[in-house]
Amino acid sequence: MKRKVFSLILVVIMVLAFNSLAMAQDDPIKLGFFAPVTGPAAADGESALNSAKLAIEVINEKGGIDGREVELVNYDDHLDSKQSVSIAQKLTTRDNVVAVVSGSYSGTTRPAANIYQNAKVPMISAYAIHPDIPKSGDYIFQQSFPGPVQGKVGGYMAVDNLGAQKIAILYVDNDFGNTLNDNFQKYVEDKGAEVVYVDSFAIGEREFNPVLTKIKGLNPDLIYVVAYAGEGAAIMRQSVDVGIEAQILGTEGMDSTTQFLQVAGDAAEGLIITTNLNRDSEEEQVRDYINRYTEKYGFAPDMVGASTYDGFMLLAHVMRQVGPDSEAIKDAMYEVEDYMTNTGLLYRYNEIGEAVKPVQVQIVKDGEFHYYDQITDMDIIAP
Amino acid sequence: MYAIVVMINVGIFVLLALSLNIITGYAGQPNIGQGAFFGIGAYSGAILTGKLGIYFWLAMPISAIITGFIGFFLGLISIRIKEDFLAIVTIALNFIVAAIFQNVKFFGGSMGLSVPSPYWFGNPLSYHGYLILIIILIILVIIFSKLIEKSWLGMALGAIRNNERAADSLGIDTKKFKIMAFVLGTSIAGLTGAVYAHYMTFIMASDFGFLTSVSILSMVILGGNNTIRGPIVGAIILGLIPEVFRFISDYRLLVYALILILMIRFQPSGLLGDDSFVWQKLTNLRASYFKRRGA
Amino acid sequence: MFLQQLLNSIAIGSVYALTSMGATLIYGILGILDIANAGAYVLGAYLGLLFYSLSGNILIAFVVTMIITGLFGILIQKYVYRPLLSQPAYIPLIASIGIFIFIENIIRLIAGPTIKEFTVNLPFQSLNFANLHINNVWVLIFIVALILMFLLWYLLKMTKIGLAWRATAQDLDIAKTMGINTNRVISLNFFLGYSFAASAGILIGILYNSIYPTMGSVVSYKMLAIIVLGGLGNPFGTLVAALLIGFIETMVGAYIGFFIPRNAIAFVALVIILLISPQGLFTQKSRI
Repeated sequence: MKRKVFSLILVVIMVLAFNSLAMAQDDPIKLGFFAPVTGPAAADGESALNSAKLAIEVINEKGGIDGREVELVNYDDHLDSKQSVSIAQKLTTRDNVVAVVSGSYSGTTRPAANIYQNAKVPMISAYAIHPDIPKSGDYIFQQSFPGPVQGKVGGYMAVDNLGAQKIAILYVDNDFGNTLNDNFQKYVEDKGAEVVYVDSFAIGEREFNPVLTKIKGLNPDLIYVVAYAGEGAAIMRQSVDVGIEAQILGTEGMDSTTQFLQVAGDAAEGLIITTNLNRDSEEEQVRDYINRYTEKYGFAPDMVGASTYDGFMLLAHVMRQVGPDSEAIKDAMYEVEDYMTNTGLLYRYNEIGEAVKPVQVQIVKDGEFHYYDQITDMDIIAP
Repeated sequence: MYAIVVMINVGIFVLLALSLNIITGYAGQPNIGQGAFFGIGAYSGAILTGKLGIYFWLAMPISAIITGFIGFFLGLISIRIKEDFLAIVTIALNFIVAAIFQNVKFFGGSMGLSVPSPYWFGNPLSYHGYLILIIILIILVIIFSKLIEKSWLGMALGAIRNNERAADSLGIDTKKFKIMAFVLGTSIAGLTGAVYAHYMTFIMASDFGFLTSVSILSMVILGGNNTIRGPIVGAIILGLIPEVFRFISDYRLLVYALILILMIRFQPSGLLGDDSFVWQKLTNLRASYFKRRGA
Repeated sequence: MFLQQLLNSIAIGSVYALTSMGATLIYGILGILDIANAGAYVLGAYLGLLFYSLSGNILIAFVVTMIITGLFGILIQKYVYRPLLSQPAYIPLIASIGIFIFIENIIRLIAGPTIKEFTVNLPFQSLNFANLHINNVWVLIFIVALILMFLLWYLLKMTKIGLAWRATAQDLDIAKTMGINTNRVISLNFFLGYSFAASAGILIGILYNSIYPTMGSVVSYKMLAIIVLGGLGNPFGTLVAALLIGFIETMVGAYIGFFIPRNAIAFVALVIILLISPQGLFTQKSRI
């Protein structure tokens, strides 16, 4: 009797062991993802999550990674850094993902980056641009061009392209607004333009009549606005109300069809923004992405979504070359050269993990974003 | 590792709930701004170690002292402004403190502050180390709370809580004891903040906002104000919800809100408060158990 | 320039008055700091858009939304607040925060987190003369606020239920023993408080042409500052406090620059005023 039980147990163990070995081959490759799907940044969180799901779908349609399926492990961080830290532990120690894409803001991505670095799991920050994020270590990358680059490009557009001499600045008071404002201001002042007014505002602000009235009195030729969709739309509408005729130059924060263009309406006409998504791109993959996203979710994607999608596509591209191994992925990321993404041609990553890529300049015409310019000058776009 | 991080997160909230209990429980003073003091401790700790290069182990008590010093001023305010008005003032202080962290370059402004890792015998403090540190702090704070309950301070605070004017006329210096409760409660929050900042390695003003204060207060009330067991259980329940319900992702906050509403609605004195249904059942069970053993 | 800023400040102040009035009414009777009122504001904005798109008539949308949200208020007070009346004030406060979070999230789940536009063609245009600009939605806000304030004044001072209301506000228990049906008064109070918040939600949705699930978060705390400054539960005090905060914010923005975020200015003003006068600008005696 004893022997029977013993052999039965042995058989069961062997079957299980064999199964798990066989499973190891066919097990899906797990990619981690976190975004603020609830809480104050839920709109961006949803946009990022939508694109993450679409990206996984597309990767699997194309045969996965050497025949192995890719699986998305996604969590909601509620824009709370305590949660992004516990998610980082969960992804690295429980779910054992090979790499992670952050679809969250800087406040949550920054403390989580340390954990991914220590766990030696590569993380790509899709659109959080805090300069300390890639500095967390060699496993941490930024998908989008760094904030200082976008600020400089803004300055270049304002002074060299649009010829502004008197400039007013309004920026959102967080890491994004601050970084862009600092670099923009430095660039335009070096070029001899005068900054006549600088003010910041909190996320969620909707009332700009007082500051815009004041700006109108100063009569600048250009207003540089670093804002997100909601605040940006309010600024555009109220600047028309107040009667401001100066050119307005915006940033990627306003790059949203549903959240910005539809709300701002006619008031957005003529706005020029610096961003990473070229909506007039002839590239097939960009067209494909925009069409598929619109078909699947019923509205057009924005730069948050496009950046998240690119993060996953980049991981898939690298894994097809070196396999689903965290260490190899990290090394291969530094070897990437001239890789075409939705958000422009990625030249390479520099030694601290910042992307070197061109900056798109778009203009609002007839209620849509269109190509205006593309900045490829290395003196400006090299981080 | 994941379990340890979750335990650290919950442990931090246990400390904060216990610290707030000294003010809302023992002294019976409303405070919906404890997050501000948590933040003051965190920023003090971050600046002491990050900018001034002071050892973490020394920075911890100094942060507590700095926070207690600011808590002292709130105590002074509580003498002049009372009840609902005081509650609003604590909310206001929370917003003002967060605004200062957000706007002053010295505190990192809206870029936040990176915090260096503390060392323990030459090695960076691990998550296990943090967990042990937090458990030790929790035990110390529990002992401390027990001492307050039993001491003359506890009696005086109880008198203030029940009837401030009567306490005054009995010759209890209510002002002194109220201020003491604010100083003690806020400095424990400050100490917790210093630990939190180093554990997170990065802090931002928005980590210490109104919502943080509301969740700390909810933990105290939901568990049972003016007890030691209550805030601990409240912090564990509300602290675990985001992790336990992760599988329902989108609906997580809905569940959190529902639990909060239902528990407050049906157990307003807290799950384990002295008058609560659950606690009375528990004490009855214990009594009958001992009776049976005695028989 | 100053005149324009003054106009801006009155517009902003009116918006604040409208958003804080519901919570003021509720505090006036039950002494509850009703953060859930900001939830009614969000709910009102979404229902308003829903009924506007269904009916195509903004007046119908207003009335239907105000009634539904008002009924919702009656349910809240009956099943959540009334049983908690004997508890300390912070207990219903936490329940109200729970309700607020609940409303925000249920709306996000149903309507999605993205901003929706709320475009309404008003029968009159914005005014521009002598370099001054008056937005047409400001005019609408002003008219609606006047109508609602008049209704409230009439109800409180000219009707029998108004008398019962005032008696209940003075002392709930005594009013009850005097034979006043306090439950009916409280129900009416919540009906008005929540329908006021709903109308504010619609108007502000139209003003900024956008509604979104988290639109109530700034309102939820700024309204606290305003109703406390107004003396807690005093509609007239709230009106003055709202205009004052609107004025301070506008003028700081226009002439000093924001040394701290705009939303914190209300709280700085609050702490200073409370330290001078611990019962707010208008003391409890003049309550309703």
